[in-house]
Amino acid sequence: MAETSLLEIGAMFAVIALAGAGAHRLGVSVIPLYIVAGILVNDAVLGAVGLPAIRDGEFVTIVAELGIVFLLFFLGLEFSIDRLIEGRDRMTRAGALDAALNFPVGMALGLLVGWSLTEAFVLGGIVYISSSAVITKSLIDLGWIANPESEPMLSTLVFEDLAIAFYLAVLSAVVLGGGDLMGAVMSVGTAMAFLLVLLAGVARGDALFERYLAVDSTELFILRAVAVTVLVAGVALAIGVSEAVAAFFVGMGFSETAHVEKLERLLVPLRDVFAAVFFFWIGLTTDPRLVAATAALLALAVAVTTPTKLLSGYLTGRRYYGLDATRSVRVGTGMVTRGEFSLIIAALVAGAGGSAVLAETIPAFAVGYVLVMSVLGTLLMQYADSLARFVPGTE
Amino acid sequence: MTVYEADLPGVGKKFEVELDDETRLVIIIHNTGKRELFLRREEGADAEKLFELTDRLARQVGTIMEGAYFQPIRTDSIDTVLADDTLIEWSKVQEGSPLAGRTLAESRLRQALGVSVIAIQRGEETLTNPDPETEIRAEDTLVVLGSRDACRKLDDVVAGDAELDG
Repeated sequence: MAETSLLEIGAMFAVIALAGAGAHRLGVSVIPLYIVAGILVNDAVLGAVGLPAIRDGEFVTIVAELGIVFLLFFLGLEFSIDRLIEGRDRMTRAGALDAALNFPVGMALGLLVGWSLTEAFVLGGIVYISSSAVITKSLIDLGWIANPESEPMLSTLVFEDLAIAFYLAVLSAVVLGGGDLMGAVMSVGTAMAFLLVLLAGVARGDALFERYLAVDSTELFILRAVAVTVLVAGVALAIGVSEAVAAFFVGMGFSETAHVEKLERLLVPLRDVFAAVFFFWIGLTTDPRLVAATAALLALAVAVTTPTKLLSGYLTGRRYYGLDATRSVRVGTGMVTRGEFSLIIAALVAGAGGSAVLAETIPAFAVGYVLVMSVLGTLLMQYADSLARFVPGTE
Repeated sequence: MTVYEADLPGVGKKFEVELDDETRLVIIIHNTGKRELFLRREEGADAEKLFELTDRLARQVGTIMEGAYFQPIRTDSIDTVLADDTLIEWSKVQEGSPLAGRTLAESRLRQALGVSVIAIQRGEETLTNPDPETEIRAEDTLVVLGSRDACRKLDDVVAGDAELDG
């Protein structure tokens, strides 16, 4: 960890802003470009050619952590129990199919290359979780948002978002608690207890959450919201629970209050800044040589986990939402993109200091995987209708 | 007319308004406040995007549609606004109007009110540029050009609610 100067932070934001501008110009998602920008200016690339690189300092890491916290906070915020109950049948079936098809395939892939059960469990999560941010944005850009195919996609994402909150809870307990499934029972217990306390707070504390933010001043409102979110996440991390999950629950606590819209309006800019730094930091801590070293696994994963998402999406649209074949193909292509959550999983295990696979291979693999899948997923969506011609039952 | 409402998790809300058997107007209200309007011409077709509006503009357009922002006034006369204060108005001469049975010259509309008669519609025919000797009859529709105020005064005169002064 190096000292970080203001100049470096300024340079970092300038690079992020440039990457964002580039993404808009090219009409692609910002996430892969933030990562690439991080890779380009890190020690291993820019530093290697003798130019002043941006170093991974303590400040950058903390801001990146805030990025994770706010991404998950928003996930919780937009998550409503009512919606889950309302769309229960179809959403649960769609989500279960999606999980049953994709998660085991990821685990099998990990076991196939000789990884431990824990490592395979991590890989399962990385290939299972689609990117809410990129997919939602693509839906809007393509105008599919007004069509029936948006419903199965968004419902599946809602289910995945809830699944990932619980997955992270289990994973952090396992990984932070010593790295093997058996020795983690104690820490799983602690984690579960803490999460149960949070969950009880969320379930019972509507009025409390409501009152907490009932202030007239916008400034106080933001400060209070940020304070409770970051503090709870910090406490969680200090006792060995995933800060992301804790933030998710805080978000969920506010999701039933009247403040939801105001929170979204006021905190979105904050989230976007922190999240951009998170993606950039992922690139910053990635050595391209390590990514290249995982090329074989990467190729295998792309070849296997693209069709699985296409299939689960297609079946979801066809079976549970009664869409025609073309629209079901669109659902399939829409689910291919993996993004922020795969990276959050990788960041979690990278920082835990476990085996070499967890500390180096998986993070490098995740970066390569997200870069490929976010570009591939966006492309598949654009050409979904041409793809659909190869599917029986379409005109 | 049915309106369907659906939640779009992480995006906002979707409303579908049935325009007729086939066509639906799809309105997406984003959490950001942006509104997007789409038209789906038939069941199974893709929605075509019409346009998008910012939150503020959407509210303004909404109130105009509601009729709250600008209240259209229904009168017996139709008018066309040329500039802020100049109208061309179609006014029907009622039975009891002091104008009925007078010529244009006698009615002194231009001097008294400041409106000029540019045409008279009588049944199926239209007399354009009527000369001063043209007689105004009940049931005629006068096409006049004048200021908003003048046209308001004329409305009372043709209806028989006011005398011509001057």
